[in-house]
Amino acid sequence: MRILVVEDEPKVASFIRRALEEESYAVDVCADGPGGLDWAQTVNYDLIVLDLMLPGLPGVEVLKRARAAGVKTPVLILTARSEVDQRVKGLDAGADDYLTKPFAIEELLARARALLRRAGGAPTGILQVDDVVLNPVTREVTRGGQRLEFTTKEYALLEYLMRNAGRVLTRSMITEHVWDLDFDTFTNVIDVYISYLRNKIDKGRERSLIQTVRGSGYMMRADG
Amino acid sequence: MKATSIRVRLTLWYGSALALILVLFAVALYLVMSRALREQVDASLDEAAAVAIRTLGEHRFGPFLIFEDLSQDFPEIALLDKFFQIFGPAGQVTIQSANIQSREIPLSQTSFRASLDGKSTFESVKFEKGVPLRLLSVPIRQGDQLVNILRVGTSLQPTEKMLHRLLAGLYIASPVALLVSLVGGWFLAGRALRPVHAITQAAQRIAAGDWTQRIRTPHSNDEIGQLASTFNDMIGRLEVSFRQIRQFSADASHELRTPLTITKGETELALRRPRQAEDYRVVLESNLEEIDRMSRIVDELLFLSRADLGEIKLKMFPVQLDDLVREIQQQALVLGKERNIHTVLEAIEPVVVQGDDLRLRELLLNLVDNAVKYSQDGQTVELSLIVAGDRGKLVVRDHGIGIASGDQGRIFDRFYRTDEARAHAAKGTGLGLAICKWIVEVHHGSIEVQSAVHDGSCFTVFLPLAPSEGVV
Repeated sequence: MRILVVEDEPKVASFIRRALEEESYAVDVCADGPGGLDWAQTVNYDLIVLDLMLPGLPGVEVLKRARAAGVKTPVLILTARSEVDQRVKGLDAGADDYLTKPFAIEELLARARALLRRAGGAPTGILQVDDVVLNPVTREVTRGGQRLEFTTKEYALLEYLMRNAGRVLTRSMITEHVWDLDFDTFTNVIDVYISYLRNKIDKGRERSLIQTVRGSGYMMRADG
Repeated sequence: MKATSIRVRLTLWYGSALALILVLFAVALYLVMSRALREQVDASLDEAAAVAIRTLGEHRFGPFLIFEDLSQDFPEIALLDKFFQIFGPAGQVTIQSANIQSREIPLSQTSFRASLDGKSTFESVKFEKGVPLRLLSVPIRQGDQLVNILRVGTSLQPTEKMLHRLLAGLYIASPVALLVSLVGGWFLAGRALRPVHAITQAAQRIAAGDWTQRIRTPHSNDEIGQLASTFNDMIGRLEVSFRQIRQFSADASHELRTPLTITKGETELALRRPRQAEDYRVVLESNLEEIDRMSRIVDELLFLSRADLGEIKLKMFPVQLDDLVREIQQQALVLGKERNIHTVLEAIEPVVVQGDDLRLRELLLNLVDNAVKYSQDGQTVELSLIVAGDRGKLVVRDHGIGIASGDQGRIFDRFYRTDEARAHAAKGTGLGLAICKWIVEVHHGSIEVQSAVHDGSCFTVFLPLAPSEGVV
């Protein structure tokens, strides 16, 4: 899951980024309005966290233009003003949810999960492929009732594969949603992480769930 | 309460005064009228008596005077509403006009005695079940001898009828007039008080929080018009300061919310799971920075609100401003050391101003601190202090990020920070220049700024020179 944070106050942007990264999201930070709009249109983010008070271009305007340009990514707006009309303007401009500063980290993360879940179309949030079950809230993964342990990157990759079970995911799609802008696309990091996942999920099982689609990428599917 | 309203009281006062006037007028009218009527009656009796005496003279006086002869000579006498009697010298009736008929109207003792003395008398009499009469007795004399007494009389009935009618008219007309004017007075009082009502309603709506309300003033410049426009002025000023206060507190809470968001977010994040000691140290350092920022905002806010209330006591003494500038330059060198920003004195002249040493130091430090803060690494900041006429001219110039011309008018506003300033130095409170402006103004000086984006800013402060010691 890849998230864009548009926030001009460096310290606020920094702790939001760290909190999201600890939850194994890939995070990009942009400090001004025009830049945020640019990135939102260029990269296919899974979620945008948008401050309303931005230099260059107000957050509401960024949102309106992004929506007008066809960006359908869920947007969570942050506002320092608790006044109702700011929130109403933001929601009317196309935001999906809002948080007023100062906010609790846990609330930010819960709302981010809720928005991602809604976009993924799984109302309970629990993902299941065959007998692999993933709970995004507790970040617990089990296969056949047996608990499996992952690193944050492995977990992020698995979650992305499970959310898109049955679809072929190209390497560039995986890069875009699991890694952030600093990722070097010419390495074979994705293949390495896929093999880590296979070791933990498929090794020694009768059915292999993670499949290689020759020439295209990878896919996770129950009826392997 | 309608019972005590000004309108009711005005109407009642007005009605009482009018009623008194009406009563006095009616009484006076009645008295004047009745007197005039009586005088008219007496005058006509006088005239009739004179005519009769002349006629009697022509017919010689004597017991043989016959009324028929008289009425032959003066046919109008018979038509008149008067009657005649002629008494002999002893007071007995000799002749009387026919219109008396058989009624006896004897000569009174007073009239007879007056006649003996040669005087005429008027008297009013009223006989039982008869009409009221007015009588004139005139003695007719030959030499000293009383020959006859002529009496002319007339009925007072028409006069009395007229007076009665007048009285009846007054009885009816006065209450009607009073009623009509009370209604008119009520209406006029209401009209005069209508703007007061409008003011009350507007005040009620304003009290309910609608500050846009104004009283539609009548175009007149009368008392009510003045009240209304004074009221409107007052509400206008209140509205402006109310809006300023609201803006100020909104800005204040916004400025405090950012450091709160940071401390809360960073602390919560740190507590989510066990961390390295170094991570905690970073969070605590960052939080300390934010706490410092909040205390600075609170201090400066407190200072400005005390300044607004006039609670800041200034100790005004002659201050050697050039010494102060040298001292601040040394501090500025320390401030800029880390980023290699050098502060230089371009020109300095001895300047003495009447002022508060502490506040002037704060002013200089704020300006120089800003200049350093918004400079790029390695740039210089220039200070100069010269005498310009009767004022000292202090210039603080930097070559940093500058201020767009659209923002220059607002940088002295509380909490106003340009996007560039926020991006360049996150630590500012947005109150420094507002405090500078206040300090300059309490010293009767002025502050201005020239700036261009990326070229730097130049702040110029003018402060009046202290009067030289010889003059004081």
